[in-house]
Amino acid sequence: MSEAIIRTEFLYKSFGKLDVLKDISTQINKGEVVAILGPSGSGKSTFLRCMNLLERPTKGQIYFKDQEITNPKINIAKIRTSLVMVFQHFNLFPHMTVLQNVTYAPIKVKGINKQQANSQGLELLKKVGLSEKADVYPSKLSGGQKQRVAIARALAMEPEMILFDEPTSALDPEMVKDVLEVMKQLAQTGITMAIVTHEMGFARSVASRIMFLDQGTLAEDTTPSEFFANPKCARAKIFLEKML
Amino acid sequence: MKKRKKSIFNILLAATLAISIILSQSNPLQALIGKDTLTMITSPDYPPYEYYDTEGSGNIIGFDIDIANYIAKELKFKLNVIESDFNGLIPALATNRVDFVMAGMSPTPERLKNVDFSIIYYTAQDTIVAPKGSNLLKVQQLSGKTVGVQLGSIQEKNLKEIAKKVTGIQIKQLNRVPEAIQELKSKRIDAAIIENNVASGFAGSNPDLEFNVIPSQENSGSAIAFAKNSSLVPPFNRVLQKMKDNGTLKQLATKWFSKNTNIANLSSTEVKTGLNLDFSRISKDIPFILRGIPLTLLFTIISVFLGLIWGTVLSLLKISDIKPLQSLANAYTSVFRGTPLLLQLALVYYATPQLTGYNISALQAGVLTFTLNSGAYMSETIRGGIQAVDKGQSEASISMGIPKWLMMKDIILPQALKNILPALVNETIGLLKDSALVSTIGVVEILRSAQIVGANKYIYFEPLLFAGLIYYILVMGLTQSAFILEKRLRRSE
Repeated sequence: MSEAIIRTEFLYKSFGKLDVLKDISTQINKGEVVAILGPSGSGKSTFLRCMNLLERPTKGQIYFKDQEITNPKINIAKIRTSLVMVFQHFNLFPHMTVLQNVTYAPIKVKGINKQQANSQGLELLKKVGLSEKADVYPSKLSGGQKQRVAIARALAMEPEMILFDEPTSALDPEMVKDVLEVMKQLAQTGITMAIVTHEMGFARSVASRIMFLDQGTLAEDTTPSEFFANPKCARAKIFLEKML
Repeated sequence: MKKRKKSIFNILLAATLAISIILSQSNPLQALIGKDTLTMITSPDYPPYEYYDTEGSGNIIGFDIDIANYIAKELKFKLNVIESDFNGLIPALATNRVDFVMAGMSPTPERLKNVDFSIIYYTAQDTIVAPKGSNLLKVQQLSGKTVGVQLGSIQEKNLKEIAKKVTGIQIKQLNRVPEAIQELKSKRIDAAIIENNVASGFAGSNPDLEFNVIPSQENSGSAIAFAKNSSLVPPFNRVLQKMKDNGTLKQLATKWFSKNTNIANLSSTEVKTGLNLDFSRISKDIPFILRGIPLTLLFTIISVFLGLIWGTVLSLLKISDIKPLQSLANAYTSVFRGTPLLLQLALVYYATPQLTGYNISALQAGVLTFTLNSGAYMSETIRGGIQAVDKGQSEASISMGIPKWLMMKDIILPQALKNILPALVNETIGLLKDSALVSTIGVVEILRSAQIVGANKYIYFEPLLFAGLIYYILVMGLTQSAFILEKRLRRSE
């Protein structure tokens, strides 16, 4: 059995009276690319946001490489540097240039010197196809470009795992391809990824594993070929009929 | 031989005398007071007693100042003269801010409860000042009239006495004599009670006014005021008595009261209607007024800067998770927004020396009060600005492990400040104009300079309008630089 990056045990999350996650126990292993699917309101984003404790679970434990991060005594900020997130709305810092966005956290949080961070940042921007945009402000970029900068920003932290929260949902259709292309390349480097997405084609071709959430429970957890060809639960069948 | 013996004796005697004189010069009074400088406070809008030499040195000069200098010299002290409103003179004594007050002040029983007085050094007579042709010669004629008087002055007390005997007098108290004159000219009052030396100055500059000495009225003597039980009273009285005896007082009175005090007004010798503006009357005083600009600007800039820092701290407390700190910041804001700035200023200025023993200067008190006050206002603006920054910004920061304080400093606050820049400019403009309030505790900024010039020249509108123009230009400059700054900050959009 390969090494677990994230492991959840009996995870519950409620917002007031609304139970969003109910008893999820699973683990994500090193190098896995997990697509988290499900109808809206199924709790997939909440599940993802629990993994780096942007949402605190109501009950249950989460482990990052065998360290219990739901323990209040843990320095969660330190853990988050190796568990970064890419957001639906990019959340770039609008008052910083593209390069500054990418290098800020490495310099200030990881203590890398500025020159090194800059050359590393330019390297990453080149990787996502935006090296010529290093000195512009985010407001001058298209949505797809913004998201690629956000991915470069996440990679600059040299994380063990990246959490993608609907990374293409806010994009115009013609921008989606560029971003998915970058993510596909990323998947091939062997980095661990968890992706909440509605891009079924992408999930089928790039993901190594599908988690299907329904009403806060982990309804299916299987391979893409199995899930798309032969979904077991009724909800997944209905879901796929609607999506495909 | 005998003669020689005598001369040796004489030399010894002379030496002993010289030594005793030298010894007496190592001032025992200085030792008693514990300093070599006496601080006098006055209200320099009362020529010829005390006023700013706005056309010349810019210093406070006048009859009282000459007397004070003479006494200080006799007692071998240096003299430091500071100023405030007439109302603020006795509080300054009571709070040990100053050693004595000279402001043409009369010893009344009420004042004697709080301060000690020297012997009377000069006696003036009250007059009824009224528009020309009113012919108000006796106090009985004031019946049914509205009569103006300077708040806190001996004339106010005298007028109250008159009003007990003469029915139907309506008293209107005004902060300064020039205001009383202006009220007269705009017919809001029918007459004003002003002492003769001052009245003659005003009547000289305002040909539409006349004054008549009140015949049977008790005299209003001027004396020097000290803190209760001050050890300065006996030596001051000794010198005053000496000045009376050797004719110095009479000389000084002639010097100050016989010259037709101010002069600059002679261009308008006939009675005109309207505001009757003539800016040439203040042309020589313009440099004096302009000297208030750096002070006003410095005051505003420091207050805004410190207020911004303090406001930021308060706003961070308000959005913190720590309940007691939240409540503290909220209570602070409600107190400082719920009470008048002028009141806060007076409290800080007068209470700080008594509470802390630190003799806070008027300017320091001004900056402190304005910082505390604008901090309260700004904290709300900044809090709003912080909360208006998209939640995604803090989530992105948190998800990269950026510590909270770095996130505030580098991510959230820069965006918040950009959003609230227009509100901050408003606050700065407000502060710039509110800075005129520090004139009440004796800081000579733009408005105070203008009032001083007005008092000297017995005119009202010209210096005020000029001051208004300066404020307007400053605010325009500020608005323009804020516009440029905002444009620069928005280059990222």
